[in-house]
Amino acid sequence: MSSQEPNHQENNSNNPHAENTTHFGYKTIDKDDKVSMVAGVFHSVAAQYDVMNDLMSFGIHRLWKRFTIDASGVRPGNTVLDLAGGTGDLTAKFSQLVGREGKVILADINSSMLNVGRDKLRDRGLVQNIEYVQANAQYLPFEDNTFDIVTIAFGLRNVTDKDMALRSIYRVLKPGGRLLVLEFSKPEHELVNKAYDFYSFNILPKMGELVAKDGDSYQYLAESIRMHPDQETLKSMMNDAGFEQTSFKNLTGGVVALHKGYKF
Amino acid sequence: MMESLPKPLLKIMPQLMLQQVMCSALEVTINKALSLNINSNERLNSLEEKTLAVKLAELGFPLCFSINDGKVLVTKLIERADCTITTSIKTLQDLKKEQQLTELIKQDKLDVEGDIKIAQHFASLAETLDIDWQTELAKHIGDIATHKLVQFSKIVKNKVDLAIEQIQADSSEYLVHEQRLVVTSSQLDHFNQAVSAVKLQTEQVENRLNQLFERLNIHT
Repeated sequence: MSSQEPNHQENNSNNPHAENTTHFGYKTIDKDDKVSMVAGVFHSVAAQYDVMNDLMSFGIHRLWKRFTIDASGVRPGNTVLDLAGGTGDLTAKFSQLVGREGKVILADINSSMLNVGRDKLRDRGLVQNIEYVQANAQYLPFEDNTFDIVTIAFGLRNVTDKDMALRSIYRVLKPGGRLLVLEFSKPEHELVNKAYDFYSFNILPKMGELVAKDGDSYQYLAESIRMHPDQETLKSMMNDAGFEQTSFKNLTGGVVALHKGYKF
Repeated sequence: MMESLPKPLLKIMPQLMLQQVMCSALEVTINKALSLNINSNERLNSLEEKTLAVKLAELGFPLCFSINDGKVLVTKLIERADCTITTSIKTLQDLKKEQQLTELIKQDKLDVEGDIKIAQHFASLAETLDIDWQTELAKHIGDIATHKLVQFSKIVKNKVDLAIEQIQADSSEYLVHEQRLVVTSSQLDHFNQAVSAVKLQTEQVENRLNQLFERLNIHT
């Protein structure tokens, strides 16, 4: 891992310009620039996104997503928002589980990802109960108390203002509804942490270069993971946004964590 | 008492996501089997958007089978179950026969909560599952190769069956006649008859003794 790596948690309290700046990987940038810079990354990798996910995680991302589905408690007739849903892995499963009476909205800020997701789901014949919305998680274009379940899988770390996004999600959830955040996190054991660092900073960008012809985006991926709040910090952020009974479950030794919180 | 999975395995299952691995493997296998079924899968229509939860004593988590658009989804979402059956892996084989359900409930081998018709529909779906392996194999390796392979496997099976029969006969001969560790069935019958004769004689002696004691009591 680079010796210039900043603190793991995104904390701008010591920075005089903190209100106007945020992180893009290890870089500190103007808040207004982050959306376009993240968009650039995902426009670049959208076409190879699924292949890279399988390669990078050795297919384990499918199990992490399945774990999320199992934890969601989804029922037929539910309305689900798959935020930052990308290529629609969670949407596909939710669509089958909510049935004809239910509805799933696949939302992503990035049009390229949304297009890839829409094409993939339509090719699989999943058309009946899915809607597609290009939306920023910070300013969700939905009425209050709309969704039974909101999921955001591997998306929160790319959001410029995470607190604002969590408040926005809280607003659109129905009372009794739940948020599930599946995101890379901090490994529980130091040995796993070291191996994970080596893999992320030495192998991952090279894989990105070879397969997606874009090593920089995967360098950003590794850096953005390290800059994402750890398990306890994210849990307290969810509490601050109003969520109750918040909890998290570490998966694969904490490489990924699933946070869950309710709105009552 | 039914055996459950070892405790250390149950402990690490969530971390390794073995439950999700199992659900995923089951889902792929079941859907593949249904797609190869030579009988009609129309029973799936009556199960549309229904969920059967199976709680196996050996597993520490439920397996929930939901039907959507003719596909089976395997999850752990027990909240959505229309019918929940609690049983063991051993009893699962008997569940294939729809008419066995009532009998298994009476024997306390099966517990059903919810709409039993859903469990019956799933059972009858399993009963109608029949895959023409030869046709499927022929699609990949051709008719002649499949025919040869099937003939070869039949010969191998016959030889293996014969070998097993021979080994059983030889080993019983060795144990009975050479090592004399076990006895033949006729010897066992003879022994049983001798035991019965001794039992009869003992009962006769007992009766005689009782009669003698009675006489003695009268005289004294």
